Amino acid sequence: MSGQTYLIAAYLGMIGALSLWTWTVFARSKTLEAKIASLEKALGKEESE
Amino acid sequence: MKIRGEALAILGLAGASLTFWLGMSWAPSVSIDAFKAPDAQRIFYWHVPSAWAAMIAFGMLFVGSLVWFFKRSEWAWRLHVASSEAGLATGLMCVWSGCIWGAAEWGVPWDWTDIRLNTFAILTLLSLYLVLGRRSQPDGIETRDTFSAFGMYGFVLVPVTYIATRLWQIRHPGPVVATSEGSLNSDMGTVLLIGAISFTVLIIGHVMAGMRLTKLEMHLEDLQSRFEEESR
Repeated sequence: MSGQTYLIAAYLGMIGALSLWTWTVFARSKTLEAKIASLEKALGKEESE
Repeated sequence: MKIRGEALAILGLAGASLTFWLGMSWAPSVSIDAFKAPDAQRIFYWHVPSAWAAMIAFGMLFVGSLVWFFKRSEWAWRLHVASSEAGLATGLMCVWSGCIWGAAEWGVPWDWTDIRLNTFAILTLLSLYLVLGRRSQPDGIETRDTFSAFGMYGFVLVPVTYIATRLWQIRHPGPVVATSEGSLNSDMGTVLLIGAISFTVLIIGHVMAGMRLTKLEMHLEDLQSRFEEESR
């Protein structure tokens, strides 16, 4: 592998890692919001009962 | 208008990708006489901004740890959590890109005698310890105090890392910006500046998003305990 190809592979790996990190923040946020919404709904129902 | 951390993180990521493209295609090549591996030098446009971003994250970790320790402020704890994760990610990126460059330029990815390399690695390991430790320990005042103490005392390594190449230049190159001896080409400086701004936006976005995530996690834990109590 030439120096330039090696460097591009290294850079793309790092861009991939940064994108994955950003994506996990989105995914964790969505999962938590969904769990909170379902728990709030369940608690709201119990309170009204 | 409320700016979401996620939006800033994506903007920073786009800027980092632009830096990659400019670094590969627009920035001038370095002299073959000065560098053994001139192609590998182009990793500098990510290596330096990621180190800069890691230092910002370690600075925020210090502030979060200090304010939590003395004021018991919830936002400060959330800053501690988010900045330790951000410091770990950018610290690993800096170490990884440095190893790639070192392998090409020096023939070895690491030098255990170089102060700059080793103090920065310890800072990154400290953030790894904080991230993993927080996940394995139950949340509470004592746990937070312990991790905050590490966040505060660990910050001592930030100025040591900064001045390391100025005082003891062993293997890591000396400073090329913010120094009277700097000799950075203006096009190189422009790409480096775009990289530094992009990584700053990225790290601020991630810390904001991380603080929001920690708030959501705390709210969820609170709701879960309420739900368990009411289910009994």
